[in-house]
Amino acid sequence: MNAVYILSGLGIFSLLAEIFSFRKILFPIVLLGLLATAGLLVMDWNTGTSHFSNMLTFDNYAIAFSAGIAVIAFLWFLMSRDYFENNTHVTDHFALVLFSLVGAVFMVSYSNLAMLFLGIEILSISLYIMAGSKMTDLFSNEASFKYFLMGSFATGFLLFGIALVYGVTGSFDLGKINQVITAGSTEFSALLYAGVLLMMVGLAFKISAVPFHFWAPDVYEGSPTVVTAFMSTIVKIAAFAGFFRLFATCFASVSGEWVNVVQVIAVLTLVVSNITAVYQNSVKRMLAFSSIAHAGYLLITLVALNEISASAILYYVLAYAAASLAAFAVLHNVAFENENASAESFNGLSKRNPFHAFAMTVALLSLAGIPPLAGFFAKYYIFTVAFESGYVGIVLLAVVTSLIGIYYYFRIIIAMYLKAPETTTPVAVTTMHNVMLVICLLSTIILGLFPDMIIKLI
Amino acid sequence: MSDLIGFIPLAPLLGFLFIGFLNKSLTKGWVSFFACGAVFVAFILSSVLFFNLLNAPEGQAAFTYTAFDWITTGNFSVSFSFLVDPLSATMMMIITGVGFLIHVYSVGYMYHDDGFRRFFMYLNLFIFFMLLLVMGSNYLLMFVGWEGVGLCSYLLIGFWFKNQDYNDAAKKAFIMNRIGDLGLILGVILIFVTFGSINYADVFSKAGEFPVGSEIITWITILLFVGAIGKSAQIPLYTWLPDAMAGPTPVSALIHAATMVTAGVYMIARNNVLYTLSPFTLEIVTVIGLATALFAATIAIAQNDIKKVLAYSTVSQLGLMFVALGLGAFTTGIFHMATHAFFKALLFLGAGSVIHGMSDEQDIRKMGGLRKYLPITFITFLVGTLAIAGIPPFAGFFSKDEILANAFAHSKVVYAVGAIASLLTSFYMFRLFFLTFSGENRASEEVKHHIHESPKSMTIPLMVLAVLSLIGGFMGVPEVLGGSHALNNFLSPVFAQSAQIAGEHHHLDHSTELILMGLIVGLTLVMIFIAYSIYVRRKSVPTSNEASLGAAHRLVYNKYYVDEAYNTVVVKPLYFLSKVFDSVVEKLLIDNIVNGTGKAITWGSKTLRLVQTGNTGFYILAMVISIIVLLVSRSFL
Repeated sequence: MNAVYILSGLGIFSLLAEIFSFRKILFPIVLLGLLATAGLLVMDWNTGTSHFSNMLTFDNYAIAFSAGIAVIAFLWFLMSRDYFENNTHVTDHFALVLFSLVGAVFMVSYSNLAMLFLGIEILSISLYIMAGSKMTDLFSNEASFKYFLMGSFATGFLLFGIALVYGVTGSFDLGKINQVITAGSTEFSALLYAGVLLMMVGLAFKISAVPFHFWAPDVYEGSPTVVTAFMSTIVKIAAFAGFFRLFATCFASVSGEWVNVVQVIAVLTLVVSNITAVYQNSVKRMLAFSSIAHAGYLLITLVALNEISASAILYYVLAYAAASLAAFAVLHNVAFENENASAESFNGLSKRNPFHAFAMTVALLSLAGIPPLAGFFAKYYIFTVAFESGYVGIVLLAVVTSLIGIYYYFRIIIAMYLKAPETTTPVAVTTMHNVMLVICLLSTIILGLFPDMIIKLI
Repeated sequence: MSDLIGFIPLAPLLGFLFIGFLNKSLTKGWVSFFACGAVFVAFILSSVLFFNLLNAPEGQAAFTYTAFDWITTGNFSVSFSFLVDPLSATMMMIITGVGFLIHVYSVGYMYHDDGFRRFFMYLNLFIFFMLLLVMGSNYLLMFVGWEGVGLCSYLLIGFWFKNQDYNDAAKKAFIMNRIGDLGLILGVILIFVTFGSINYADVFSKAGEFPVGSEIITWITILLFVGAIGKSAQIPLYTWLPDAMAGPTPVSALIHAATMVTAGVYMIARNNVLYTLSPFTLEIVTVIGLATALFAATIAIAQNDIKKVLAYSTVSQLGLMFVALGLGAFTTGIFHMATHAFFKALLFLGAGSVIHGMSDEQDIRKMGGLRKYLPITFITFLVGTLAIAGIPPFAGFFSKDEILANAFAHSKVVYAVGAIASLLTSFYMFRLFFLTFSGENRASEEVKHHIHESPKSMTIPLMVLAVLSLIGGFMGVPEVLGGSHALNNFLSPVFAQSAQIAGEHHHLDHSTELILMGLIVGLTLVMIFIAYSIYVRRKSVPTSNEASLGAAHRLVYNKYYVDEAYNTVVVKPLYFLSKVFDSVVEKLLIDNIVNGTGKAITWGSKTLRLVQTGNTGFYILAMVISIIVLLVSRSFL
């Protein structure tokens, strides 16, 4: 719970920083604050306390994901500092990001549907603004507006779903809803089904699962790269953790009623995203489709829900975030001012900046799921979950789509190492980026070598 | 004590990594220091273990050490663990001891070669894998070592890779070994299926439940023996070993005489329990060993390349070791392996010294009279030749005599053929010796001008090995000569279970044994005299005109045309089949499937991409339609 206070406090502090002009010390304080957040969360391990009359519950699941989010946010700040210093009102945007992190923490720790909704809204509204943070850029504006339009549309469905579920069960509390549904001697009513389905739609939109993914490629491509990185890591993790928390606890007892729908969504997500990514020339757009594809792999755990699903998800999102952040950081530096880069602009990167090329290679290999990197074990555990629950077909399909994934990831690697560079100017980078890349790479490798660290946690 | 074990294979591995990573920044001196030092450390540690085992109290016959759990899946678990019992300790002493001497020798031999560092890297890696092979406490670890030494052998045969013939020789060795390895791995799989474990201890204890002659054990042992045939160059997979002489001479001494090629002997000795349970396989082992011993010995008579003669001699001697194993005399096989390691390493290194002194000349027809130019090489080579010929009290006498004594007890035919092979050995070895060292020098003036004795780093290992070839036999002096056969006593715990299964061995009485000994030594002296009268008194030199040879001589000179036969029967049809697969299956079928899949996905991508129109209205419409479909679908899903 202290985490929420610290994050909110940091956000307010950022706003004040503008007025009292201690902008200079803001950045280190935010970094320290994030580490403190993670530390305090870890201290609450195994306590499982509830707050605000049982609206938030910091059980181990919530703590693991919140701490993960805080650490990823820490890395994200290292990556995006230069962008904010050069292009925007740094204090405002820091505040927005910090508040959205509070939303993210709500989304992984709620035990009441009202808090889920609140979390999603806090997160989303900050993001709508951040997507448009490059005020003079038309694409950035377009992304912001599109995201806002479609996001509010999806929020409507979520709210509608919550209302229907409340109508049937008479409660917002996850535990009580579960009791009512489990104890309900009557059959699963159409009203409840509609409620569950509409909530699923709202959340599927947030994790950009097909067919509710249309916003993602456009918004990811139009937003500034650092914001895209934020959306495809922290937002996705929070949204999926929230999604899973709802369906694995509240509606788990009636999984037979909704599992087929999730399965259809997962299959569509895997196939459509991976195939579409093949033909993308913009690397950012390719990464957007790749991010959709990873949502597809994550959805498999929900289909094949069992007791190791949660650990598999935690491991997967951490592995995914480490690799993804590294890839976006490299993209950010390669694309530089124009905020977008085609596959060709990666040509010969190994000569222009060998370390960046190496980092990108490791990141892409991990995303593609090549052993011994973390991305491999992430997929491995998810496939194990599916196998143990008897979903062999979907595993086979996921393996095939992973193979397709290798194609588009390797395109970049080949461009970096085998093609002649278009310019010979070295890619300029800051020390902070290098530090951040080293941390990401080490995590990718260490998580891959010692997967038990995470997989035994929850 | 057991904690030391892990360091033994670690030392050469570290040597390999160290030289490999610091490649260019190390001087040749440091490379030699690290490479030799690593093997020396392994040797010292092995000696400590060896003497500990030697003095160990009754019943404590082995040390084990588990480094870590390696693979655990389902009901299959393998740990990375080592077993040091008298058998592996003996092997380790030979590998690290002879290996160290050969490392030292190589410093002088390879000093002016551009690949000096690479050479020592490979050599250290070889020692590491060889140690894994003999120290592993399960079949998988042995297999890793087995494959590893095969790899090193390949790398070192093709060490001078700029010569295409050498590359071909390396490939030949690798491929022929692969045939054997297939047998080995099938055998190991069959062991796992039969016994549910691949740890030696489990397998051997469970093997006791099987009756003698059990069919499954026969299959296992035959498959394992196929592996041994490949690695130890027995008929029909022996042709790679003579070609392997393309590698630098120290490699021939270390890998292709003293250690790697004896891996097959070790493996069968290690599995003595299984082999004892299958008398049928033992018969096969005897027959193949015997045939190889004789066959290779006849070829060696007509070869003119100093290393080729030694190579065929190695094949022949390995055949004798298999005869011993086949007769159930496992200790005798190991004994001969040990003495052979000494004198054959000595002979190869001596040959290397000759080649070195003669400006890379290997043809014995162009040598002669080297006694006065290379005195140390001459003396040591003579010791080696006497040892392999089996003149008492040199090492080869004791071990070879023990094999023949066992053979005589088993069957007179085996004895006769074995005796002929060993008499031929003494003939061709002295032929080689006389042609090289006595008479007039037949080299060109220019070469003659440069002949020189090798440097100390090469002659000292020669001298040490000469001493070992002289006294090495005393570890196995038979009772009849007043000895107690120390090696036999040392190794007996390893073969105790087999001895129990096989029952009491038939022993020769002492007078028969003495008569046989006298007979074979007398005949050997006759063979030496014949060689002397042909090559020293009559000064005859093998002709280089093939047409003037008699039919039988030509057949032997051309190694019975086995290579040519293999080429026609196996290689050419394989090439043909490969062409068919290439043009039909690969190009027409697989390529089209692969490219078709790629094209289909690209097409799909191009098409699906168009759904992403960028129009928000369309997006929302698509979402709404999807939601409606999902809501309605409840009645269908």
